[in-house]
Amino acid sequence: MTSSDSARQQCGALYVEHHRWLVGWLRYKLGCLHDAADLAQDTFVRVLSSRELQTEEPLQEPRAFLVTVAGRLVSNHFRRRSLEQAWLETLAALPPQQVPSPEVQTSLLQSLHEVDAMLDGLAPRVRQAFLLAQLEGCTYAQIAERLGISVRTVKRYMAEAYEQCIMLTL
Amino acid sequence: MHHADSLNGMDQTDKLDRTAVREAAGWLVRLHEERQNPQTLAALARWRASSEEHERAWQRAQLVNDKFGLIPAQLGMPVLGHASSSSRRRAIKALVLLMTFVPASYVAYRHSAWREWTADYATRTGERRSLSLNDGTELELNTDTALDVKFDAVQRLIRLHRGEVLIDTGADPRRADESFRPFWVQTRQGRIRALGTRFVVRRDHDITRVQVYDGAVEVQPANAGARQVIQAGQQLSFSAEAVQLPRPVDPHGADWARGLLVAQQMPLGEFIHELARYRPGLLRCDPAIVDLRISGAFQLDNTDQVLAALPATLPVQVVYRTRFWVSLTAA
Repeated sequence: MTSSDSARQQCGALYVEHHRWLVGWLRYKLGCLHDAADLAQDTFVRVLSSRELQTEEPLQEPRAFLVTVAGRLVSNHFRRRSLEQAWLETLAALPPQQVPSPEVQTSLLQSLHEVDAMLDGLAPRVRQAFLLAQLEGCTYAQIAERLGISVRTVKRYMAEAYEQCIMLTL
Repeated sequence: MHHADSLNGMDQTDKLDRTAVREAAGWLVRLHEERQNPQTLAALARWRASSEEHERAWQRAQLVNDKFGLIPAQLGMPVLGHASSSSRRRAIKALVLLMTFVPASYVAYRHSAWREWTADYATRTGERRSLSLNDGTELELNTDTALDVKFDAVQRLIRLHRGEVLIDTGADPRRADESFRPFWVQTRQGRIRALGTRFVVRRDHDITRVQVYDGAVEVQPANAGARQVIQAGQQLSFSAEAVQLPRPVDPHGADWARGLLVAQQMPLGEFIHELARYRPGLLRCDPAIVDLRISGAFQLDNTDQVLAALPATLPVQVVYRTRFWVSLTAA
Protein backbone atom coordinates (compact mmCIF):
# COMPACT_ATOMS: atom_id res chain seq x y z
CA MET A 1 0.00 0.00 0.00
CA THR A 2 1.44 3.38 -0.97
CA SER A 3 1.45 6.22 1.50
CA SER A 4 -1.21 8.13 -0.42
CA ASP A 5 -3.50 5.11 -0.39
CA SER A 6 -3.00 4.93 3.31
CA ALA A 7 -3.78 8.63 3.65
CA ARG A 8 -6.97 8.25 1.67
CA GLN A 9 -8.05 5.33 3.78
CA GLN A 10 -7.35 7.10 7.05
CA CYS A 11 -9.06 10.24 5.84
CA GLY A 12 -12.11 8.22 4.84
CA ALA A 13 -12.27 6.75 8.32
CA LEU A 14 -11.89 10.20 9.89
CA TYR A 15 -14.65 11.51 7.69
CA VAL A 16 -17.10 8.78 8.59
CA GLU A 17 -16.43 9.02 12.31
CA HIS A 18 -15.93 12.74 12.87
CA HIS A 19 -17.46 14.75 10.03
CA ARG A 20 -20.75 15.39 11.77
CA TRP A 21 -18.97 16.30 14.99
CA LEU A 22 -16.63 18.68 13.12
CA VAL A 23 -19.53 20.47 11.42
CA GLY A 24 -21.10 20.93 14.86
CA TRP A 25 -17.85 22.35 16.27
CA LEU A 26 -17.44 24.72 13.31
CA ARG A 27 -21.05 25.82 13.50
CA TYR A 28 -20.47 26.75 17.13
CA LYS A 29 -17.38 28.77 16.14
CA LEU A 30 -18.86 30.41 13.07
CA GLY A 31 -22.53 30.69 13.97
CA CYS A 32 -23.57 29.61 10.51
CA LEU A 33 -24.33 26.11 9.27
CA HIS A 34 -23.56 26.96 5.68
CA ASP A 35 -20.05 28.28 6.44
CA ALA A 36 -19.50 25.38 8.82
CA ALA A 37 -20.27 22.83 6.11
CA ASP A 38 -17.91 24.59 3.70
CA LEU A 39 -15.05 24.77 6.17
CA ALA A 40 -15.54 21.15 7.21
CA GLN A 41 -15.13 20.21 3.58
CA ASP A 42 -11.97 22.33 3.32
CA THR A 43 -10.66 20.76 6.50
CA PHE A 44 -10.88 17.27 5.06
CA VAL A 45 -9.23 18.40 1.83
CA ARG A 46 -6.32 19.71 3.90
CA VAL A 47 -6.23 16.57 6.01
CA LEU A 48 -6.05 14.39 2.92
CA SER A 49 -2.82 16.07 1.87
CA SER A 50 -1.25 16.56 5.26
CA ARG A 51 1.91 14.81 6.35
CA GLU A 52 0.42 13.33 9.47
CA LEU A 53 -1.51 10.90 7.31
CA GLN A 54 1.42 9.83 5.17
CA THR A 55 2.23 6.98 7.61
CA GLU A 56 0.24 3.90 8.37
CA GLU A 57 0.08 4.68 12.06
CA PRO A 58 -3.45 5.60 13.12
CA LEU A 59 -3.88 9.08 14.60
CA GLN A 60 -3.71 9.21 18.37
CA GLU A 61 -6.03 12.16 18.84
CA PRO A 62 -8.13 12.44 15.71
CA ARG A 63 -10.41 15.22 16.99
CA ALA A 64 -7.53 17.32 18.30
CA PHE A 65 -5.88 16.95 14.91
CA LEU A 66 -9.06 17.98 13.08
CA VAL A 67 -9.51 20.98 15.38
CA THR A 68 -5.96 22.14 14.70
CA VAL A 69 -6.50 22.06 10.96
CA ALA A 70 -10.02 23.50 11.15
CA GLY A 71 -8.94 26.17 13.62
CA ARG A 72 -6.48 27.59 11.11
CA LEU A 73 -9.23 27.70 8.53
CA VAL A 74 -11.56 29.44 10.98
CA SER A 75 -9.07 32.20 11.74
CA ASN A 76 -8.44 32.53 8.03
CA HIS A 77 -12.17 32.80 7.48
CA PHE A 78 -12.53 35.60 10.03
CA ARG A 79 -9.54 37.42 8.61
CA ARG A 80 -11.01 37.29 5.13
CA ARG A 81 -14.38 38.43 6.37
CA SER A 82 -12.89 41.36 8.27
CA LEU A 83 -10.87 42.35 5.21
CA GLU A 84 -13.93 42.16 2.99
CA GLN A 85 -15.84 44.32 5.45
CA ALA A 86 -13.08 46.96 5.41
CA TRP A 87 -12.97 46.71 1.61
CA LEU A 88 -16.69 47.40 1.29
CA GLU A 89 -16.45 50.31 3.71
CA THR A 90 -13.56 51.77 1.74
CA LEU A 91 -15.35 51.39 -1.57
CA ALA A 92 -18.47 52.99 -0.13
CA ALA A 93 -16.41 55.99 1.00
CA LEU A 94 -14.93 56.60 -2.46
CA PRO A 95 -16.40 59.30 -4.66
CA PRO A 96 -18.52 57.51 -7.29
CA GLN A 97 -16.25 58.49 -10.16
CA GLN A 98 -13.27 56.87 -8.42
CA VAL A 99 -14.86 53.50 -7.84
CA PRO A 100 -12.97 50.90 -9.88
CA SER A 101 -14.80 48.70 -12.36
CA PRO A 102 -16.06 45.31 -11.11
CA GLU A 103 -13.24 43.62 -13.03
CA VAL A 104 -10.59 45.67 -11.26
CA GLN A 105 -12.36 45.27 -7.94
CA THR A 106 -12.15 41.51 -8.22
CA SER A 107 -8.44 41.50 -8.95
CA LEU A 108 -7.71 44.11 -6.30
CA LEU A 109 -9.59 42.21 -3.64
CA GLN A 110 -7.69 39.07 -4.56
CA SER A 111 -4.37 40.92 -4.19
CA LEU A 112 -5.51 42.38 -0.89
CA HIS A 113 -6.34 38.91 0.43
CA GLU A 114 -2.94 37.60 -0.56
CA VAL A 115 -1.12 40.48 1.05
CA ASP A 116 -3.28 40.35 4.15
CA ALA A 117 -2.46 36.68 4.54
CA MET A 118 1.27 37.45 4.31
CA LEU A 119 0.95 40.06 7.04
CA ASP A 120 -1.13 37.85 9.30
CA GLY A 121 0.18 37.68 12.83
CA LEU A 122 2.52 40.65 12.65
CA ALA A 123 2.31 43.07 15.56
CA PRO A 124 0.07 46.05 14.71
CA ARG A 125 2.96 48.54 14.74
CA VAL A 126 5.09 46.34 12.52
CA ARG A 127 2.22 45.99 10.11
CA GLN A 128 1.57 49.71 10.17
CA ALA A 129 5.19 50.65 9.51
CA PHE A 130 5.40 48.12 6.71
CA LEU A 131 2.22 49.34 5.03
CA LEU A 132 3.40 52.94 5.21
CA ALA A 133 6.61 51.98 3.46
CA GLN A 134 5.10 49.62 0.92
CA LEU A 135 1.89 51.39 -0.01
CA GLU A 136 2.59 55.03 0.68
CA GLY A 137 6.26 54.96 -0.23
CA CYS A 138 7.17 56.64 3.08
CA THR A 139 10.85 56.93 3.93
CA TYR A 140 11.98 55.37 7.19
CA ALA A 141 12.46 58.83 8.68
CA GLN A 142 8.86 59.71 7.82
CA ILE A 143 7.57 56.48 9.31
CA ALA A 144 9.63 57.03 12.44
CA GLU A 145 8.17 60.47 12.85
CA ARG A 146 4.59 59.37 12.26
CA LEU A 147 4.76 56.44 14.65
CA GLY A 148 6.93 58.19 17.20
CA ILE A 149 9.69 55.58 17.09
CA SER A 150 13.33 55.58 16.03
CA VAL A 151 14.53 54.93 12.50
CA ARG A 152 16.39 51.91 13.82
CA THR A 153 13.16 50.47 15.13
CA VAL A 154 11.46 51.14 11.80
CA LYS A 155 14.21 49.18 10.05
CA ARG A 156 13.86 46.34 12.50
CA TYR A 157 10.10 46.26 11.90
CA MET A 158 10.65 46.29 8.16
CA ALA A 159 13.11 43.41 8.33
CA GLU A 160 10.71 41.38 10.47
CA ALA A 161 7.80 42.00 8.11
CA TYR A 162 9.85 41.29 5.00
CA GLU A 163 11.13 38.07 6.47
CA GLN A 164 7.65 36.82 7.22
CA CYS A 165 6.38 37.90 3.80
CA ILE A 166 9.20 36.10 2.02
CA MET A 167 8.45 32.93 3.96
CA LEU A 168 4.74 33.15 3.21
CA THR A 169 4.87 34.21 -0.42
CA LEU A 170 3.86 31.39 -2.68
CA MET B 1 -5.11 21.33 -9.61
CA HIS B 2 -5.00 24.35 -7.42
CA HIS B 3 -4.55 22.23 -4.37
CA ALA B 4 -1.49 20.40 -5.62
CA ASP B 5 0.04 23.70 -6.69
CA SER B 6 -0.20 25.19 -3.26
CA LEU B 7 1.35 22.08 -1.78
CA ASN B 8 4.33 22.33 -4.08
CA GLY B 9 4.65 25.93 -3.05
CA MET B 10 4.71 24.94 0.58
CA ASP B 11 7.41 22.40 -0.08
CA GLN B 12 9.53 25.07 -1.71
CA THR B 13 9.04 27.37 1.25
CA ASP B 14 10.28 24.63 3.50
CA LYS B 15 13.40 24.32 1.43
CA LEU B 16 14.29 28.01 1.52
CA ASP B 17 17.29 28.61 3.65
CA ARG B 18 16.30 30.56 6.71
CA THR B 19 19.50 32.58 6.89
CA ALA B 20 19.27 33.47 3.22
CA VAL B 21 15.70 34.63 3.78
CA ARG B 22 16.77 36.83 6.66
CA GLU B 23 19.53 38.33 4.56
CA ALA B 24 17.20 38.86 1.60
CA ALA B 25 14.85 40.70 3.95
CA GLY B 26 17.77 42.86 4.99
CA TRP B 27 18.44 43.73 1.35
CA LEU B 28 14.85 44.70 0.81
CA VAL B 29 15.06 46.97 3.84
CA ARG B 30 18.15 48.68 2.43
CA LEU B 31 16.82 48.95 -1.09
CA HIS B 32 13.73 50.81 0.03
CA GLU B 33 15.91 53.85 0.53
CA GLU B 34 18.94 53.07 -1.61
CA ARG B 35 17.36 51.96 -4.84
CA GLN B 36 19.49 54.41 -6.81
CA ASN B 37 22.73 53.75 -4.98
CA PRO B 38 25.14 51.96 -7.31
CA GLN B 39 27.26 50.64 -4.45
CA THR B 40 24.27 49.06 -2.77
CA LEU B 41 23.15 47.52 -6.06
CA ALA B 42 26.63 46.15 -6.72
CA ALA B 43 26.83 44.68 -3.23
CA LEU B 44 23.43 43.07 -3.69
CA ALA B 45 24.54 41.58 -7.02
CA ARG B 46 27.60 40.09 -5.32
CA TRP B 47 25.48 38.64 -2.53
CA ARG B 48 23.09 37.06 -5.02
CA ALA B 49 25.89 35.59 -7.09
CA SER B 50 27.68 34.14 -4.08
CA SER B 51 25.27 31.26 -3.51
CA GLU B 52 22.32 29.53 -5.07
CA GLU B 53 20.41 29.80 -1.81
CA HIS B 54 20.85 33.57 -1.91
CA GLU B 55 19.53 33.80 -5.43
CA ARG B 56 16.51 31.64 -4.60
CA ALA B 57 15.69 33.68 -1.54
CA TRP B 58 16.07 36.84 -3.58
CA GLN B 59 13.69 35.63 -6.28
CA ARG B 60 11.14 34.98 -3.56
CA ALA B 61 11.81 38.33 -1.93
CA GLN B 62 11.05 40.16 -5.12
CA LEU B 63 7.65 38.52 -5.29
CA VAL B 64 6.80 40.32 -2.07
CA ASN B 65 7.34 43.70 -3.63
CA ASP B 66 5.47 42.60 -6.73
CA LYS B 67 2.48 41.64 -4.63
CA PHE B 68 2.40 44.99 -2.88
CA GLY B 69 2.92 46.77 -6.17
CA LEU B 70 -0.51 45.58 -7.23
CA ILE B 71 -2.25 47.60 -4.57
CA PRO B 72 -2.95 51.32 -4.84
CA ALA B 73 -2.35 53.18 -1.61
CA GLN B 74 -5.70 54.91 -1.56
CA LEU B 75 -7.44 51.54 -1.30
CA GLY B 76 -4.73 49.46 0.33
CA MET B 77 -4.18 51.61 3.39
CA PRO B 78 -7.74 51.69 4.70
CA VAL B 79 -8.43 48.06 3.80
CA LEU B 80 -5.19 46.47 5.02
CA GLY B 81 -5.13 48.78 8.00
CA HIS B 82 -8.27 47.02 9.15
CA ALA B 83 -8.13 44.96 12.31
CA SER B 84 -10.37 43.34 14.83
CA SER B 85 -10.10 46.41 16.99
CA SER B 86 -12.05 49.28 15.51
CA SER B 87 -10.02 51.85 17.42
CA ARG B 88 -6.95 50.77 15.51
CA ARG B 89 -8.82 51.06 12.28
CA ARG B 90 -9.82 54.59 13.18
CA ALA B 91 -6.24 55.43 14.07
CA ILE B 92 -5.05 54.23 10.71
CA LYS B 93 -7.77 56.10 8.88
CA ALA B 94 -6.62 59.26 10.64
CA LEU B 95 -3.06 58.45 9.69
CA VAL B 96 -4.03 58.04 6.07
CA LEU B 97 -5.70 61.44 6.11
CA LEU B 98 -2.49 62.97 7.41
CA MET B 99 -0.47 61.71 4.52
CA THR B 100 -0.19 64.44 2.02
CA PHE B 101 2.64 63.38 -0.18
CA VAL B 102 2.38 61.18 -3.19
CA PRO B 103 3.46 57.56 -3.21
CA ALA B 104 6.69 57.05 -5.04
CA SER B 105 6.21 53.54 -6.19
CA TYR B 106 3.03 52.56 -7.82
CA VAL B 107 0.65 50.09 -8.98
CA ALA B 108 0.23 47.52 -11.62
CA TYR B 109 -2.62 45.14 -12.08
CA ARG B 110 -2.07 41.62 -13.20
CA HIS B 111 -5.28 41.36 -15.16
CA SER B 112 -5.33 42.29 -18.77
CA ALA B 113 -8.42 44.41 -18.43
CA TRP B 114 -6.34 47.31 -19.68
CA ARG B 115 -6.49 48.28 -23.26
CA GLU B 116 -2.94 48.24 -24.46
CA TRP B 117 -2.03 50.99 -26.79
CA THR B 118 1.17 51.78 -28.59
CA ALA B 119 1.32 54.43 -31.27
CA ASP B 120 3.62 57.03 -32.79
CA TYR B 121 2.53 60.53 -33.59
CA ALA B 122 4.33 63.40 -35.27
CA THR B 123 3.65 66.84 -36.65
CA ARG B 124 5.46 68.66 -39.44
CA THR B 125 6.86 72.13 -39.01
CA GLY B 126 3.97 74.56 -38.78
CA GLU B 127 1.46 71.80 -38.10
CA ARG B 128 -0.45 71.28 -34.88
CA ARG B 129 -2.52 68.27 -34.01
CA SER B 130 -5.05 67.29 -31.34
CA LEU B 131 -5.31 63.74 -30.05
CA SER B 132 -7.67 62.03 -27.66
CA LEU B 133 -6.14 58.99 -25.98
CA ASN B 134 -8.23 56.07 -24.84
CA ASP B 135 -7.94 56.98 -21.17
CA GLY B 136 -9.59 60.33 -21.75
CA THR B 137 -6.32 62.27 -21.91
CA GLU B 138 -6.17 65.06 -24.48
CA LEU B 139 -2.90 65.83 -26.24
CA GLU B 140 -2.07 68.85 -28.31
CA LEU B 141 1.07 68.43 -30.37
CA ASN B 142 2.83 71.63 -31.32
CA THR B 143 4.89 72.19 -34.46
CA ASP B 144 7.66 69.73 -35.36
CA THR B 145 6.90 67.30 -32.58
CA ALA B 146 7.38 63.56 -32.34
CA LEU B 147 6.17 61.35 -29.54
CA ASP B 148 5.01 57.84 -28.94
CA VAL B 149 2.32 56.63 -26.64
CA LYS B 150 2.63 53.38 -24.76
CA PHE B 151 -0.22 52.37 -22.52
CA ASP B 152 -0.11 49.01 -20.82
CA ALA B 153 -1.20 47.35 -17.62
CA VAL B 154 1.48 49.07 -15.59
CA GLN B 155 1.57 52.65 -16.75
CA ARG B 156 0.65 55.29 -19.24
CA LEU B 157 3.85 56.46 -20.87
CA ILE B 158 4.43 59.19 -23.40
CA ARG B 159 7.91 59.51 -24.85
CA LEU B 160 8.55 62.96 -26.22
CA HIS B 161 11.31 62.71 -28.81
CA ARG B 162 11.19 66.31 -29.94
CA GLY B 163 8.96 69.34 -29.90
CA GLU B 164 6.27 70.32 -27.46
CA VAL B 165 3.06 68.84 -26.16
CA LEU B 166 0.18 70.09 -24.05
CA ILE B 167 -1.25 67.33 -21.93
CA ASP B 168 -4.61 67.38 -20.23
CA THR B 169 -5.16 64.25 -18.19
CA GLY B 170 -8.59 65.50 -17.25
CA ALA B 171 -10.46 63.00 -15.12
CA ASP B 172 -12.94 61.18 -17.25
CA PRO B 173 -15.61 59.80 -14.90
CA ARG B 174 -16.14 56.82 -17.19
CA ARG B 175 -12.51 55.88 -16.77
CA ALA B 176 -12.09 55.71 -13.02
CA ASP B 177 -9.61 52.85 -13.31
CA GLU B 178 -7.17 55.07 -15.12
CA SER B 179 -6.45 57.08 -12.03
CA PHE B 180 -4.68 53.98 -10.72
CA ARG B 181 -2.18 53.84 -13.56
CA PRO B 182 0.61 56.39 -13.31
CA PHE B 183 1.00 58.79 -16.20
CA TRP B 184 4.58 59.52 -17.28
CA VAL B 185 6.18 61.72 -19.86
CA GLN B 186 9.70 60.68 -20.72
CA THR B 187 12.32 62.81 -22.43
CA ARG B 188 16.01 62.25 -22.82
CA GLN B 189 16.53 64.47 -19.79
CA GLY B 190 14.30 62.52 -17.43
CA ARG B 191 10.78 61.67 -16.45
CA ILE B 192 7.80 63.76 -15.54
CA ARG B 193 4.99 62.24 -13.62
CA ALA B 194 1.55 63.80 -13.94
CA LEU B 195 -0.02 64.20 -10.55
CA GLY B 196 -2.61 66.55 -11.87
CA THR B 197 -4.17 67.54 -15.03
CA ARG B 198 -2.84 70.17 -17.43
CA PHE B 199 0.76 70.85 -18.34
CA VAL B 200 3.10 71.54 -21.23
CA VAL B 201 6.34 69.68 -21.88
CA ARG B 202 8.81 71.09 -24.35
CA ARG B 203 12.15 69.78 -25.52
CA ASP B 204 14.84 72.21 -26.44
CA HIS B 205 18.25 70.67 -27.15
CA ASP B 206 19.55 69.39 -23.80
CA ILE B 207 16.75 70.90 -21.77
CA THR B 208 13.21 69.86 -21.03
CA ARG B 209 10.86 72.60 -19.92
CA VAL B 210 7.68 71.89 -17.98
CA GLN B 211 4.87 74.37 -17.44
CA VAL B 212 2.03 73.40 -15.13
CA TYR B 213 -1.39 75.02 -15.50
CA ASP B 214 -3.52 72.69 -13.36
CA GLY B 215 -2.69 70.13 -10.71
CA ALA B 216 0.96 69.22 -10.27
CA VAL B 217 3.73 67.14 -11.79
CA GLU B 218 6.87 65.56 -10.40
CA VAL B 219 10.15 65.79 -12.31
CA GLN B 220 12.89 63.18 -12.07
CA PRO B 221 16.06 63.98 -14.04
CA ALA B 222 17.61 60.94 -15.70
CA ASN B 223 20.98 61.09 -13.96
CA ALA B 224 20.14 62.72 -10.65
CA GLY B 225 18.38 61.38 -7.62
CA ALA B 226 16.51 64.60 -6.97
CA ARG B 227 12.82 64.92 -7.52
CA GLN B 228 10.99 68.15 -7.78
CA VAL B 229 7.26 68.70 -7.63
CA ILE B 230 5.97 71.55 -9.78
CA GLN B 231 2.66 72.99 -8.71
CA ALA B 232 0.05 74.70 -10.87
CA GLY B 233 1.24 78.17 -11.84
CA GLN B 234 4.90 77.15 -11.90
CA GLN B 235 7.36 76.16 -14.57
CA LEU B 236 10.91 74.90 -14.60
CA SER B 237 13.55 73.51 -16.89
CA PHE B 238 15.72 70.52 -16.23
CA SER B 239 18.64 68.73 -17.78
CA ALA B 240 19.58 65.11 -17.28
CA GLU B 241 21.71 66.20 -14.32
CA ALA B 242 19.88 69.01 -12.60
CA VAL B 243 16.57 70.70 -11.95
CA GLN B 244 16.13 74.47 -11.83
CA LEU B 245 14.10 76.08 -9.13
CA PRO B 246 10.46 76.59 -10.12
CA ARG B 247 9.47 80.01 -11.49
CA PRO B 248 6.06 81.48 -12.17
CA VAL B 249 4.56 80.00 -15.29
CA ASP B 250 4.26 82.05 -18.47
CA PRO B 251 0.51 82.79 -18.60
CA HIS B 252 0.66 82.54 -22.40
CA GLY B 253 2.85 79.45 -22.53
CA ALA B 254 0.03 77.25 -23.77
CA ASP B 255 -1.55 79.73 -26.16
CA TRP B 256 0.05 77.98 -29.11
CA ALA B 257 -2.55 75.30 -28.60
CA ARG B 258 -5.08 77.95 -29.64
CA GLY B 259 -2.92 78.94 -32.59
CA LEU B 260 -1.53 82.08 -30.97
CA LEU B 261 1.88 83.41 -30.12
CA VAL B 262 1.32 86.05 -27.46
CA ALA B 263 4.18 88.45 -26.80
CA GLN B 264 4.36 91.00 -24.02
CA GLN B 265 7.41 93.20 -24.38
CA MET B 266 9.22 90.18 -25.75
CA PRO B 267 12.75 90.72 -27.13
CA LEU B 268 12.54 90.48 -30.92
CA GLY B 269 15.29 87.85 -31.06
CA GLU B 270 13.28 85.56 -28.82
CA PHE B 271 10.12 86.29 -30.77
CA ILE B 272 11.75 85.36 -34.07
CA HIS B 273 13.25 82.24 -32.51
CA GLU B 274 9.73 81.21 -31.45
CA LEU B 275 8.19 82.09 -34.78
CA ALA B 276 10.89 80.11 -36.60
CA ARG B 277 9.65 76.94 -34.94
CA TYR B 278 6.47 77.21 -36.95
CA ARG B 279 8.11 77.79 -40.34
CA PRO B 280 10.02 75.41 -42.55
CA GLY B 281 13.40 76.74 -43.67
CA LEU B 282 15.53 79.47 -42.17
CA LEU B 283 14.34 82.54 -40.34
CA ARG B 284 17.19 84.77 -39.19
CA CYS B 285 17.28 87.89 -37.10
CA ASP B 286 20.07 90.49 -37.42
CA PRO B 287 21.88 90.68 -34.04
CA ALA B 288 21.58 94.47 -34.19
CA ILE B 289 17.82 94.31 -33.64
CA VAL B 290 17.36 91.35 -31.29
CA ASP B 291 16.71 93.62 -28.31
CA LEU B 292 13.81 95.51 -29.83
CA ARG B 293 10.59 94.79 -27.92
CA ILE B 294 7.43 93.43 -29.43
CA SER B 295 3.91 92.96 -28.06
CA GLY B 296 0.78 91.45 -29.54
CA ALA B 297 -1.11 88.26 -30.32
CA PHE B 298 0.10 86.65 -33.54
CA GLN B 299 -1.56 83.92 -35.62
CA LEU B 300 0.73 80.93 -35.90
CA ASP B 301 -1.12 79.53 -38.88
CA ASN B 302 0.12 82.31 -41.11
CA THR B 303 3.63 83.27 -40.20
CA ASP B 304 4.20 85.03 -43.56
CA GLN B 305 1.47 87.45 -42.61
CA VAL B 306 3.03 87.97 -39.18
CA LEU B 307 6.39 88.76 -40.78
CA ALA B 308 4.82 91.09 -43.30
CA ALA B 309 3.15 93.06 -40.51
CA LEU B 310 6.34 93.62 -38.49
CA PRO B 311 7.67 96.68 -40.38
CA ALA B 312 4.44 98.50 -39.55
CA THR B 313 5.29 98.56 -35.83
CA LEU B 314 9.07 98.11 -35.67
CA PRO B 315 12.02 99.63 -37.52
CA VAL B 316 12.80 96.43 -39.38
CA GLN B 317 12.60 95.00 -42.87
CA VAL B 318 11.90 91.48 -44.01
CA VAL B 319 14.19 90.12 -46.71
CA TYR B 320 13.04 87.00 -48.57
CA ARG B 321 16.00 85.29 -50.29
CA THR B 322 13.62 82.42 -51.05
CA ARG B 323 10.38 81.43 -49.37
CA PHE B 324 12.46 79.23 -47.06
CA TRP B 325 15.23 81.68 -46.32
CA VAL B 326 14.09 84.84 -44.66
CA SER B 327 16.10 87.45 -42.80
CA LEU B 328 14.98 90.23 -40.55
CA THR B 329 17.27 93.26 -40.67
CA ALA B 330 17.30 96.83 -39.42
CA ALA B 331 15.24 99.11 -41.63
